[in-house]
Amino acid sequence: MEEKANEKKLELFQLGLVVFAILAVLTIGEYFIGVIAIDWTWPLWGIALLKAALIVRDYMHLPRLLSQDEEDHS
Amino acid sequence: MTTHVDARSGYQYKTGTNRLGLWLFILSDAFVFGGLLVSRFYLLGRTRPDLSQLLGLIVTSILLLSSFFMNRAETAIRFGDKKGFLNGTLLTITLGTLFLIGVVGVEWQIAPFSAGENAAASIFYTMTGFHAFHVLTGVILLVIVYRKGRKGLYSAERHWAVEAAAIYWHFVDVVWVFFYPALYLMGRIAS
Repeated sequence: MEEKANEKKLELFQLGLVVFAILAVLTIGEYFIGVIAIDWTWPLWGIALLKAALIVRDYMHLPRLLSQDEEDHS
Repeated sequence: MTTHVDARSGYQYKTGTNRLGLWLFILSDAFVFGGLLVSRFYLLGRTRPDLSQLLGLIVTSILLLSSFFMNRAETAIRFGDKKGFLNGTLLTITLGTLFLIGVVGVEWQIAPFSAGENAAASIFYTMTGFHAFHVLTGVILLVIVYRKGRKGLYSAERHWAVEAAAIYWHFVDVVWVFFYPALYLMGRIAS
């Protein structure tokens, strides 16, 4: 039982790390877009929306709001 | 046994209601930040304030990293890992403070304009100031959560305060996700 919980915890830690890596890559990407291409406003909005969606889903756990089960580790 | 189950389901129900309330608050707060974002584009259009883009990248990275550690801290307490929770929370507090120093202590000091100089300056100080106040509030909340955590008040079953502080912290991060490109990256430097 405890082993299963540890596995689940590790899995969630890894998910957090993957999300952070994606956010870091997107942030560096938008930095270079901003520095090099001054008028590329829409791609910057696109990246910002993607980053926000990732944070809201995986860090703020929006799905929990709709979940009935408190122990749902989504 | 029945009392224990009732207490647990009561706590679950309460947490569900609290969660809904917190998200409603966040939604209403998001409208304020949305208004500031619209003001920025109304006042500046396709120009931006003259700011250090590198410093913008650094403070943004710090805030993103803080979100990562906050998520780690919250995940840890959900599984009863108090040490992991305390370490993650402490790192988040440290990074949040560093972000504040970066924006208010450095960026505000080196910005080549004062608050009332022009529209670009005015909107820059309003947006970053309002956001910094939220970061400060988040740091204070996290310090409270950390102190209570050290006293052993949270467990895998009962940690709503940690979840609430984490959601608030990530929300502050989401706001910056939009403020960062709007202030530092989009458009030419306003003259």
